[in-house]
Amino acid sequence: MTEPIPIHISNHRAFVFDVDHVAKLRTAHRITGVLGGTLPHLSQQNIFLGLPLILLPEEVFLLVSKGFAILVSDPGSYRTPSLQELAEWDDMRIADILRQLSRSQAQEDSKRKFAQSEEALRKRQEREERRRRDALARQTGASRDSTTVSSAGPFTLEATVSNVAPVPTPTAATSTSTASVLASNVFTVSVPMSSNSLSWHEPERHSFSTLDGARIAGIWTYPSTDAERAKCEVFRDLWEKGYYMGGGSKFGGDWLVYPGDPLRYHSHFVATVHSSPDALLRPMEIVAHGRLGTATKKAHLLCCWDPAARKVSYLSVEWAGFG
Amino acid sequence: METHPTYSALSGFLSKYARATAGAAYQTYNDLLLAQQWSALEVVDLPACGRCAFRGRRPGVAKDEVVVPCALSESLSMAWLGAAFAGLGGLGEIYLAIAAEDSSVVYYKLTAGIAKPAV
Repeated sequence: MTEPIPIHISNHRAFVFDVDHVAKLRTAHRITGVLGGTLPHLSQQNIFLGLPLILLPEEVFLLVSKGFAILVSDPGSYRTPSLQELAEWDDMRIADILRQLSRSQAQEDSKRKFAQSEEALRKRQEREERRRRDALARQTGASRDSTTVSSAGPFTLEATVSNVAPVPTPTAATSTSTASVLASNVFTVSVPMSSNSLSWHEPERHSFSTLDGARIAGIWTYPSTDAERAKCEVFRDLWEKGYYMGGGSKFGGDWLVYPGDPLRYHSHFVATVHSSPDALLRPMEIVAHGRLGTATKKAHLLCCWDPAARKVSYLSVEWAGFG
Repeated sequence: METHPTYSALSGFLSKYARATAGAAYQTYNDLLLAQQWSALEVVDLPACGRCAFRGRRPGVAKDEVVVPCALSESLSMAWLGAAFAGLGGLGEIYLAIAAEDSSVVYYKLTAGIAKPAV
């Protein structure tokens, strides 16, 4: 039996932080999850996201109940580090920063070599000449403004002063190498991600290999209602039939059901779960789900969990195409 | 509706079941017969769902299909739908006709199990 994958629980949310575990979940266990972390070098967008992987509660239920994963209470798995450990960590951190800076400096140097060509030199001179002219024009224009509105009051004067202020340049105190590094606009910054290298991270202290154990400890309490239990059972049944499931909120359902890896296939179904055979089902739901499914080249899958017979039944809904 | 020429085909069934289901059944029957132009339309008893259903042939389709009527305002359940399938002799697919009070009828195909949508 291979090593179970640790799922880190923080505030009742499930995260996977290791990229190898994310890959294994997808390839070996058909669990895709959603990447929800911001990328450090592309932080002001949310089209491309990175680690950690966020799992649906039903995915957690399936993975733990089948023994593929264990739950680790993230807050509880760190003990207080000793002063020595903190000092060592700080030294390593500073060494890493210096390494990153020298790497960027090497990049900068190679760029500079390229930029030393005649063509580049000439263009840079023209640019600097233009900038000097613009700055001068701004200064003379501003001084003209300040003489006319100096009587208007303090606020306008402040505004003109800020107009004249030059673009901030590195102070003489900083070394020329760091100044040039800061001036370049592309860095590779490595952000420490995994806690595995920290000597005071001890996930074994607070790990749970069963859902009941986690529930008793108050770390993970899903499922706790009949509706949640029904969702877990239906999810497990669909998974055992070989399907991949993704989030269904964009299509008004509980999940999208794919015949294979979502990177390769479109989903065939939008699934909704009904928690018992006698639960209320309105004809309007069939109209809404059926029409949306058909309009998006999918069918709607009505899934019902029968708690008495302990089995799942399915109905596929499509618009009839006439009427 | 008793004086309508098509009523005679339904009269036996409608008197048997609750009045609330009669409107939707009657509306659906007329829609199938006159608007959707189904042929060989016959009424099928479906006591498990407390109503009658309709079996006939859609224009351009080679096999018979069954339609179960219901009103938009009714309360159904997965068990009710399961009973419809069972009560019709274990059919693989049925059409659910949903009739609204403004006399519009929409039809949805329900297939038992996980059936991929047509390409």
